[in-house]
Amino acid sequence: MSFLDWATGLHGYLFVGTILATLGIIAVVYRRNSIGVLLGIELLLNAASINFISFSKFRTAAIDGQIFALFIIIIAAAEAAVALAIILRLYRLRETIDAGEANLMRN
Amino acid sequence: MNGEIVQNLKLLSPELVLVFFLVVLFTVDSIWEQTRKNFVPLALVFAACLLGTIATCWVSKLAPTVFFSGLVANDSFSAFFRYVFLFSCAAGTYLAFGSKELEKQNRMEFSLLIVCVTFGMCLMAISTHLLMLYIGIETVSILSFVMAGFKSEDLRASEASFKYFIFGAFASALMLYGFSLIYGLTGSLQYGEIAQYVQANLGNMPYLLPLSLILVYSGLAYKISAFPMHFWTPDVYEGSPTPVASFFSVGPKAAGFAAILRFFLDILSYDAASGSWKAIGGEQLVSVVAIISAITMTVGNLSAIGQNSVKRMLAYSSIAHVGYMLMGILTLDTFGLGAILFYIIAYCAMNFGAFWVVSIVADLKGSDRLDAFRGLGWSMPVLGVTMVIFLASLAGIPMFSGFIGKMLIFGAIVKTPGLLWLAVLGVLNSVVSLYYYAKILRELWLEGREPGNPSELSIYHGVALVGLAIPTVVLGLWFAPVIHFVERSIATIL
Repeated sequence: MSFLDWATGLHGYLFVGTILATLGIIAVVYRRNSIGVLLGIELLLNAASINFISFSKFRTAAIDGQIFALFIIIIAAAEAAVALAIILRLYRLRETIDAGEANLMRN
Repeated sequence: MNGEIVQNLKLLSPELVLVFFLVVLFTVDSIWEQTRKNFVPLALVFAACLLGTIATCWVSKLAPTVFFSGLVANDSFSAFFRYVFLFSCAAGTYLAFGSKELEKQNRMEFSLLIVCVTFGMCLMAISTHLLMLYIGIETVSILSFVMAGFKSEDLRASEASFKYFIFGAFASALMLYGFSLIYGLTGSLQYGEIAQYVQANLGNMPYLLPLSLILVYSGLAYKISAFPMHFWTPDVYEGSPTPVASFFSVGPKAAGFAAILRFFLDILSYDAASGSWKAIGGEQLVSVVAIISAITMTVGNLSAIGQNSVKRMLAYSSIAHVGYMLMGILTLDTFGLGAILFYIIAYCAMNFGAFWVVSIVADLKGSDRLDAFRGLGWSMPVLGVTMVIFLASLAGIPMFSGFIGKMLIFGAIVKTPGLLWLAVLGVLNSVVSLYYYAKILRELWLEGREPGNPSELSIYHGVALVGLAIPTVVLGLWFAPVIHFVERSIATIL
């Protein structure tokens, strides 16, 4: 199997999906900036989308995985809208969007 | 085909009632501006919950089916959770309308949000399909972020909604990744088909199935705030308005349990007759769940001890109660799983009640610290006595519903071989919890009266407190029919 076959087959897509998911988790865990965290979450969602679409094409030959991906896109948009509103308000009240500084409530 | 759709829509009528009232609320809001400040939204939410309950009653009489090509199920398990959600929706709205923490001009928005969250919770409880489950969870999550930050100029509320969002979005993204792996592994999104595939190919997927189940669990554990996704709970409950926190501690948590029970029981349990879990990758699931449950309740109770803010204390105690409820899953029979449902009913009344008292005190004194409760038992006897009932029930003292719930769960665990240690740990945890609940009671009754003008309890709140205290007491004494009811509810999904 040549590299091209590998890259355009199921494994290639899964490979990209896994890398995206890993990068997303790293971003969520290590980024201090709220927007960076949000981007990490979006990467994770897109990794899941890629998985769904590639499984739908190569594994099941059914349409339900692709439909799931469409729903993910819609819900990610809704989530981002609410998230940006929350971050914006946090910025207005405190003039920083550093996630580490959200520490008013501690024991 | 059309006839079939109409037939299926009938089974969805409780959800349709909620959607209908959502539209009504929108319409009323846009044509009659005064309703933002008066009690019309409350009346509409009550009407929605009442009609929803009637509709649930009606559909629960019909034969259990999985419909809309396997997306959702209508059985008495769905019906049970619909009752719980509609009750918590009505109670949450009632509390919010009497609280000073929600500004009057925001009442309509609050009603819209809470009805929509209730709709999402119903979807979580009835779904038998990963897509439906995901949509339900996200409906609840996204709107909950907004509700947590309802006090728009308050920094704590903004922080609460921010933390809720970070944890929630991350947890559900992980869960989604788990869904995609399950889809790839089994080639289906429908619980029944996934279960068939897992049954047929047991042992062929040593790493991927456990990994995807861990990812799915992390998303659902966030919803019920079980270990290891419980860190958001105290901060979010403390920062968000008290009525919202009380709703979060009951509604979405019950929804999370509904989703967990349906998902894991459908996919991972053998038939109820053999009463055991499928082994995945050579690992028995029981020990994992037992450890999660043990850590959850211990962490919750030990962290609650040192708290000065009562709201935060109740947040930790709600984590501990999730630990107790998780125990019931281990038994895998109608007795243990029914005990979870019984506990949810009892928890619904007593936890709402405890948060309600905190909300009243916070409105009165502007603080939810322990010393704000000083001597309030003497100036507001109804509040004092009902709080004794709620806290005694939460601590699991006999005669109250919480005791029966704990007794059923511990009883089921003792009968399960090899899990005696968990039951002992549970009892020890109850003792620990008694200590911090007693601290609140001491402030209420034993620390003398606070000098100053005596405060009075309004009838609006008094009715609610008594209304929540009655089931807490009655369920502690007269529980047999309810146990029968929950066991019949759980039997449909086993």
